[in-house]
Amino acid sequence: MSLRYEFTKGLWETIPPFRLVLGLCPVLAVTTSGINGIGMGLATTFVLVFSNIFVSLLRKVIPSQVRIASFIVIIASFVVIVELVMQAYFFALFKVLGIFIPLIVVNCIILGRAEAFASKNGPIMSLADGLGMGLGFTISLFVIGSVREFLGAGSLLGINVLWSSYEPFAFMLKPPGAFVALGILLALMNLISQFQAAKGGK
Amino acid sequence: MRDLIKMAIVLTLISAVSGLILSVVYNATKKPIEYQTIKFVKEPAVKKVLTGYDNNPVLDRKKIKIGTDEKGNPIELTVFPAKKAGKTFAVALEGHGKGFNGLIGVMVGVGKDGKLLDIGITSHSETPGVGSRVTELSFTDQFKSLTKAPIKVDAVSGATYSSRGVMAAVNQAIGYVNTFRKEIF
Repeated sequence: MSLRYEFTKGLWETIPPFRLVLGLCPVLAVTTSGINGIGMGLATTFVLVFSNIFVSLLRKVIPSQVRIASFIVIIASFVVIVELVMQAYFFALFKVLGIFIPLIVVNCIILGRAEAFASKNGPIMSLADGLGMGLGFTISLFVIGSVREFLGAGSLLGINVLWSSYEPFAFMLKPPGAFVALGILLALMNLISQFQAAKGGK
Repeated sequence: MRDLIKMAIVLTLISAVSGLILSVVYNATKKPIEYQTIKFVKEPAVKKVLTGYDNNPVLDRKKIKIGTDEKGNPIELTVFPAKKAGKTFAVALEGHGKGFNGLIGVMVGVGKDGKLLDIGITSHSETPGVGSRVTELSFTDQFKSLTKAPIKVDAVSGATYSSRGVMAAVNQAIGYVNTFRKEIF
């Protein structure tokens, strides 16, 4: 239960959404490009970090019967803050992410971390947990988004990287393509883990 | 009983503090949000519908009071005047009409003589690929140079409701120009 562990576990060991298969709705919906993935991931990270800190600070004050309602109020407040700030300063991103910003409220990762971690641990630990999970989520979204963008549009971060006669798989940018990309990446991760386990066993 | 009171107090306090914080953030971001909407949504539409001006219609925009809501607060309409040598010869303003899915916002350019210059769709939630075809030039170009009110054009086939929504929005905007001609020009 070291601080370092709480931070790093979100980056590989229980990285959402691959290991912790939570919050799939934004994962599948907004990852049509790498940059969208980063935007959505950072917005979620912000909400996750602050909701974790506040839930942790208030964990002894909040009666257990109304904890879910209290958590949701805290989470919803931060989501609205993100939404307003993004609308005011990052309008282009706001237009792309659209409805998925308010939907961060019901993202299972955030309520899940509040319930499973922040309501049982101190604020510093919760901060580390939120930051780790959030960054893990951001990395995942970025990777899925980049894979889909590369195959579906032949570009990376909006820059064309493939030859001009490349015929993109437009399918990868459609919703089914999100499932395919997620599945392939999940399979790859499991392969790596298996390989590591086999190596460790020897 | 004590538990019940504690629950109520804690939840009320959390909600009240959240409400307070949100109202502060809302007020702090209100101006930038308005600016961003004008820059990213309205400005391209204004530039499309107005031509031949030598001023900056977005900087010269003015607000006109067009009525009051039920609480007595004024309802304002933003108009973007196109000027040449200091004289307003045309104006762009937004009208709204009911489409297939909610309101369609249309930026309408109207000359001083009442002639329609061009229109541009600013906001809509019509079905992609069906109703959304009203944003295409083949539909919006039909409005150019029309004068006879009420404005009527050929609907996009398969998107009658969306097309009617755009026509209603255009007619609303023209209605504003006719009613508030003195304030606008």
